[in-house]
Amino acid sequence: MSEPLPTPDTGSAPLKGTSRRATEARFAVFWGAPPALWQAAFFLVPLGFLVAMTFWSVKNFRLTPDATLANWMFILNAGFFRNAYVYTFWLSALTAAIASVAAFPAAYTLAYKVSPAVRRFMIFMLVVPFFTSYPVRIYSTQIFFSPQGIINTVLVPLGLGPLHVLNTPTGTVVGYLVLTLPLVVLLQTFALANVPRILIEAAHNLGCGRLRTIWTVIIPSARIGLIVAGTFAFVLAFGDYVAPTYLGGSKPPTLSILIADQVKSGNNWPRASVVAVMMIVTLMVVMLVMIGFAYGRRKEKA
Amino acid sequence: MATPMIELDRVAKHYGNHAAVADVSFTIEKGEFVALMGPSGCGKTTTLRMIAGLDQPTSGEIRLWGRRLNEDAPWERDAPLVWQSYALFPFLSVRRNVEFGLKQRGLPAAERRKKADEWMERLGIASFAERGVDQLSGGQRQRVALARALALEPEMLLLDEPLSALDPHLRVRMQSELVRLHRELGITFICVTHSHSEAFAMADRVVIMNEGRIQQIGAPRDIHRRAANRFVAEFVGGNNIFTGTARFEDDGSIALAGLVGTVHAPAPMEGGIVTGGAATLVVPADRIELAGTSTGAGNEVQARVVTVEFVGSTVTVFLETEGGCELRAQRSLHEMENTPLAVGQPVVARWSPQQGFFLPG
Repeated sequence: MSEPLPTPDTGSAPLKGTSRRATEARFAVFWGAPPALWQAAFFLVPLGFLVAMTFWSVKNFRLTPDATLANWMFILNAGFFRNAYVYTFWLSALTAAIASVAAFPAAYTLAYKVSPAVRRFMIFMLVVPFFTSYPVRIYSTQIFFSPQGIINTVLVPLGLGPLHVLNTPTGTVVGYLVLTLPLVVLLQTFALANVPRILIEAAHNLGCGRLRTIWTVIIPSARIGLIVAGTFAFVLAFGDYVAPTYLGGSKPPTLSILIADQVKSGNNWPRASVVAVMMIVTLMVVMLVMIGFAYGRRKEKA
Repeated sequence: MATPMIELDRVAKHYGNHAAVADVSFTIEKGEFVALMGPSGCGKTTTLRMIAGLDQPTSGEIRLWGRRLNEDAPWERDAPLVWQSYALFPFLSVRRNVEFGLKQRGLPAAERRKKADEWMERLGIASFAERGVDQLSGGQRQRVALARALALEPEMLLLDEPLSALDPHLRVRMQSELVRLHRELGITFICVTHSHSEAFAMADRVVIMNEGRIQQIGAPRDIHRRAANRFVAEFVGGNNIFTGTARFEDDGSIALAGLVGTVHAPAPMEGGIVTGGAATLVVPADRIELAGTSTGAGNEVQARVVTVEFVGSTVTVFLETEGGCELRAQRSLHEMENTPLAVGQPVVARWSPQQGFFLPG
C-alpha cells in the first residue's frame, strides 16, 4: 500500500503552552488514524473506483475509461437483473426472519436458563463454526442433502423422501442459515443477557407470566440487539455467493451470481459494477431503515 | 387465635454454603405497617423477595391466610413490589407503566384507563401521564412505581428501600406520604430499610435482622426502650452501653462496676444476671441529663465534654470520664441554649436508675 503511515507529531511539539484539550485531540488523532487510513485505502478508494467504473465501457473485451450511462440503462432495464434483485432480496429477508425466529429460543436459553459456565462453553461452541472456512461448510452441507446423503438415506426408507433441497431456493436458504444462524444466536444472546433482570422480575411481580413476559418486556427491552442481529443476517445473505452457487445451483441467479456472470462472460466489469453499486446502495438503505426502527421512538401500542 | 395474614415459619434461604436467611419466623396481621430492618446482607431483602415469590425458600413455609404460598409463582401472587431502583419499563409511558399490572389481569382498556387515571391523580403524576419514564426525576419515578403497584389494589404492598434513592428533603416528604397512604388504604405494608429512623418513623412494628436471623420484633418504642441484645442496642443508635461486673443490692436492684464507675439499674425480669458475673447496661442517650454540680441522687458520672454535635433541634454531647469511658447525652437545642457547653468543660452526667436497663443474659 502506498498510503503514508501516520506520523506521531506529539513527540517533537513542545508541551508547554499547548492546552490539555489539544493534547487530547492529538491523542485521538494518533490512535484513530490507522483504522481511518485503512478504511480509506481498502474501502473508500475501491468504492470510488467501483462507482467510476460503472460509467466506463468495454470495447473488444477491453475496459476503456468513458462517461456513459449505457451500463446503468442496460442493467436497470434488464429483466434478469430485476428478477435477481427481487429474488435475492426476498431470500435474504426470509433468511433474516427464519434465523431470528429460530435463534430466539436458543438465545433465550443461553441468556437465562443456563449457568454462566455452560453459557461460556456454548458461546465458545457457537464460534467454532467460524474456525472452518465457509465454503468448506457449504460443501459438507451439500453432501448432507445429496440424493445418497445422510438425510435421504434415513428419510427414504421411512417413506418420507427423497428430500429435494439441492439446486432449489430452499438449498440457498439452508446455506444462508449455515452462514448466519450461529452469529444471530450469538448476537441475540448478548442482547437478551443485557436486558435488566429487574425488569423481568417486575413483570412477574405485576402478574405477567413467563411467556407473556417475553412479548411484553424482554423483546421490547432487547429490541436494538434483536434488530441488529436480524439485519446482520440479511446483510450477510444478500451478498453471499457460495450458498446460492453450490446449494442453490445458480438457478435462478442471485445478484452476486450476476456479478460473477458479467465478469466471466464478456469481461463486463462496468455492468458488474452497476450490480455491485446497486447492492451497496440497497444494503445502506436497509441498514438505515433498520437502525431507524431500532433506535427510533417507538409508537406505543396498547 | 385467628389466622394471621402472613406467616413465615422457620424460613431459610441458602446460596451454596451461605445462608442469606438462616431461620426466620414471624407473623404479620392485616393492615399492619411492618419494617424489616438491619444492616446490608442481613437477609431483609431476601425475606421480602421470598414473600413476593421472586426467591424460593430453601426450607420453611410462607403462608398467606394459612395457605402455603411457597409453590405459587410470583405472577400468581398479589404482592406488588416497589423497587429501590423503581424498575419502571423504559419503553412504556407513565400511563402504560401504571396500567401494566391491570392489563395482565385482563381488565378491559376503558377500565384500565380509568383506574390508572385515578391512581396517577392520587399520587400527583397525572400531568405527565403520556411522558416516557426517562424524562422523570427520581421522586416522580418513585410515584409512578407506587401507582403501578397500588393500581392493582392489592392486600399487601412490598417496599424495598423505598426512600434510599431520594434526596434528603424528598425522603422526609415521601416518608409521611407513605404513612398517610398506609392509613388511608388500610392494606398491609412491608418495608425493607437499613435506616432505623425510617423504620421507627413509619412502621407499627419493626423486625430487626442480622446475619439471617431475627434479633428483635416489636413496636419502635419498645425496641428503643428495651433492646433485646447488644446488636439491637447498638444498631438502633442513641444508646450508651456499659459493661462491668454485677452485684445485687439489698433493694433488688443491680449495681454495675465498670469503666464508667459504679451505677445502678433495676434487675431484669428475665433474670440471667448473678452477683460477680458480667453484665451489660443500656442507658438511652436522651435520658442522660447534664449538670454543673453533683447532687448525690441517682446515677452520677463525672466527665468532660469532648464534642458537641447539632443535628436539627437535637444536640448530642459526647463525654469522656477520667477512666476513659465514653458517654453521650442527647438534649434539645432549646435546653442547651440556656446552658452553653465548652469543649473540655467538666460536667456531671446524671440519670435515674429506672431509665437504664440490663440486657438479658
